[in-house]
Amino acid sequence: MMNNDQFREGMKAALPVVLGYLPVGVAFGLLARNAGLTPSEVGLMSLLVYAGASQFLAIEMIFKGMTWLPIVLATFFINLRHFLMSSHFSLYFKNTRIPLLGLLSTQLTDESFAVAISNLPKLKNNPPYLIGLQLTSHLAWVIGSIGGALFGPFIKISEYGLPFALPSLFICLLVFQLKSVRHFCTMVVAGVSALFFKWALQGNWYILLAALLAGGVGLVIEIMNEKQKAGGGRQEGHG
Amino acid sequence: MREETLAIIFGMAVVTFLPRFLPMAFLTRWVIPERVKMGLGYIPTAILSAIVFSILFFNGGGEVVIQPHSLLSAVSVFIFSWKVKRLWASVILGMLVYWGLEFLL
Repeated sequence: MMNNDQFREGMKAALPVVLGYLPVGVAFGLLARNAGLTPSEVGLMSLLVYAGASQFLAIEMIFKGMTWLPIVLATFFINLRHFLMSSHFSLYFKNTRIPLLGLLSTQLTDESFAVAISNLPKLKNNPPYLIGLQLTSHLAWVIGSIGGALFGPFIKISEYGLPFALPSLFICLLVFQLKSVRHFCTMVVAGVSALFFKWALQGNWYILLAALLAGGVGLVIEIMNEKQKAGGGRQEGHG
Repeated sequence: MREETLAIIFGMAVVTFLPRFLPMAFLTRWVIPERVKMGLGYIPTAILSAIVFSILFFNGGGEVVIQPHSLLSAVSVFIFSWKVKRLWASVILGMLVYWGLEFLL
């Protein structure tokens, strides 16, 4: 009973992601179809891979006639950024068994991660909630892709501001994270360095590099604050 | 389905799964130093910011651009979600502003 409620809460939390995934999924299905994939292949890729940026890139590479090895390698490097999100999630699932962690991690995406961490009290040690959130998002991605592969040319995806649904989601969830001046500094460092890394380096390294750099800056500021406080405390003690 | 396409899909699925799974599998079992935990606390802000900035200042072709359309919509969402703290409302507002600006700009 309890679990069902949590699962349903997760599904509800996923709705903004669904709104964003459906049109992007349709765009993916349409492009994949144009690159020569069948609707069932499109559906299988969205089901098993479930990582938007790398799927779009794979389609482009398939279209250019590349073989599986460079495509798989490119996918690996693009999706390496999930490494950090998975590390962050590990803070909240200490008591979860490995097979269940496997299920949770297969459906980890930027968007569902962003929504999940906006409500930590819900997320902590609560796999049913995360499964509800992620399964719903995943379903939207698969349905959108297959829909796009089948009916792409007839679906309007660039109207009603739909292209800005996911950017709005990310911006809002970023704002929710800004709990202190340290977080604000982290945001600025991450944003500016991401632009630099994306401009300077090929591929999708910029998210990983910028996140590591900015996370480090946030940590250093926090440690410095701590030392200052500790130092201040001692001085007061002397006085 | 063709073999080559299946190889691509399964290969992609495996290499995507590993970085999603391994950190969670190991880090939940290990004792993590406090400092690392503190650092991990800033990762969400950092990742989200990296994603947002790259969406706003790069176009689809990977070139640096100033897109008044996206930037104005982004600033409205930023201010609105700062004041109102509602996810759904912010997403809808962002879409409406973006849609509206299509007619103005």
